Amino acid sequence: MATDQGFIDRTFGDRDDVMLTLLDNMIWPILGLVLIGVLVLVPQTFRSTELILWGAVPIGLLVLAESLCLLSGHFDLSIGSIAGFSAMFTGMILGTCPSCWGLTTSPWIGFAIILLVGSLIGLVNGVMIAKVGLNPFLQTLAFLIIFEGAKTAMQTQPVTGLPPLYTRVGATPRFAIGLMLVAFLIIGLVLRYTSFGQAVYALGSSEHSAREVGIDTERLIIIIYTISGILSAIAGLMLTGFVGVVPPLIGEGLVFQAFAGAVIGGISLYGGRGMITGALGGVILIQVIQSALNNSPVVGATQIQMINGIVLLAAILLYSTQSKLRSRILASGAV
Amino acid sequence: MSVEEEGTLEQHPTESNTETAGTPKIRAENLTKQFGRIVAVEDVSLDIQSSEVFALVGDNGAGKSTLMNMLSGVHEPTKGQIYKDGQPMNFSNPSEARDNGIETVYQDLALMDDLDIATNIFMGQFPRTGFGPFQIIDWDETYERAEQIMMDQLGRDLDIKTEVEFLSGGQRQLVAIGRSLAFDPDVIILDEPTSALSVDATRLVQDTIDTLADQGITIVIVSHNIESVLKHADRIGVLYRGSIVDIKQPEETDLEELNELMTTGTLSSGRLDD
Repeated sequence: MATDQGFIDRTFGDRDDVMLTLLDNMIWPILGLVLIGVLVLVPQTFRSTELILWGAVPIGLLVLAESLCLLSGHFDLSIGSIAGFSAMFTGMILGTCPSCWGLTTSPWIGFAIILLVGSLIGLVNGVMIAKVGLNPFLQTLAFLIIFEGAKTAMQTQPVTGLPPLYTRVGATPRFAIGLMLVAFLIIGLVLRYTSFGQAVYALGSSEHSAREVGIDTERLIIIIYTISGILSAIAGLMLTGFVGVVPPLIGEGLVFQAFAGAVIGGISLYGGRGMITGALGGVILIQVIQSALNNSPVVGATQIQMINGIVLLAAILLYSTQSKLRSRILASGAV
Repeated sequence: MSVEEEGTLEQHPTESNTETAGTPKIRAENLTKQFGRIVAVEDVSLDIQSSEVFALVGDNGAGKSTLMNMLSGVHEPTKGQIYKDGQPMNFSNPSEARDNGIETVYQDLALMDDLDIATNIFMGQFPRTGFGPFQIIDWDETYERAEQIMMDQLGRDLDIKTEVEFLSGGQRQLVAIGRSLAFDPDVIILDEPTSALSVDATRLVQDTIDTLADQGITIVIVSHNIESVLKHADRIGVLYRGSIVDIKQPEETDLEELNELMTTGTLSSGRLDD
């Protein structure tokens, strides 16, 4: 670090710089260790890398949505519900099952509806938080419950008879994987190279300061939640394609995995810090663990949810340790 | 001249403050600001000259912040007129003041700790490259210009890729001043620039203020730190209960006298005899 004519009163050594860089990018060594562990313990997990990545697409899009919210200093508990509700609502319109509404068979209208539903729910989330001043936790928790309930109220059976093109989007592994990677690339580039992206980091670092430097923070929050809603809806579309129908439990419980993926990927729980590449690493990590659990002969299907909870706890503990280490290094720099 | 007479005269710049030749950089004429029935600033007039370091001091509630906020566009005056370079100005928000070359560095500095120095300096005004709707942030230009501001204008060798959370209090103040310089202002208003700073950091900020004044930038300091303004201001305006009660040059006053003016709005008879 440069000196400042004797006035600098914080100094950091090379070792501290290395430690800080390592802390900010801890996902990669962790991913490496997990890959080695899975390779040794459950080698059958890697029979199809494409299958692992394909399975990662819906959770990947949700991690992206959650990362965007977290970077801005907010969070969204309703992403899984938005994915599930928008997929179910659109499925009811498109499906030919006996209890479906069957209003149209056009996949294009289906694409438009699912995106519209997701964006509208995200927009309302944003307006309630930015304009009405509701706490993001309470607002998105309410929407989690409301839309999960609304989904169940609409349909308790799998929605079938969807237009082939509508399901093909998520059912074509390479297309789905490509779409997820493009989404990560676009969001990553937007965050790095646009004023909007830097404003997201500014908002997450200090909402008050962001407002003082002229950023329209209310508008920004609304846009962020709207994008989160759209990404969640696309995740719902991918989930639909993955199984070919809209299952009644679609999207449920995914918010916690998305949360874990983003946090393990180095996205700060308090906003303003983190990289989208790290979040992508978090997605791969979560999906590898998920695939390993599914392939493990010693872990039963009923135990997977519990292990997912342990992974979330581990992610939070990891984050907490990272924050403490970071603070300690910063404090040690003070002379 | 008695304090009362002097104070009264200072309320009317055309009579009192025009001893300095030329059009003042900033002229406040009979500025009044009311919030409901509360009069925060009453009939304040003053001239601030180009390249001058003008300090506004006063006790809590004296009206310093309100006066500053009128100059910086946060508040519109209830009555009175602000002139810049002789032109009447009506700022309805800080952006309009900024467009007219007046920048304000607030006490809280409005910095984003997680972001680096250059990003903080150019937040909301990044240099861009590309065309039409496909313009993106030009990071090379951003870092180059941030380095120029820190090195050439502030004379400080700071790594502009350093995150602000790593910086000391004085350096944070410099970054906030650096951000104001990115708008190429000719007037910078500093709100309590040395508040809660160490001795070294205070010296760093004071030297920076001198450097900026040498570059022809007019500096208005709003401060509690009388010792500091005595050393670095060209003139000191004392506010008491919303009015300017005196404007002093540092060499003709001292800490005790300014404190008395700030707390009572007047000077004891012994002082007057002096």
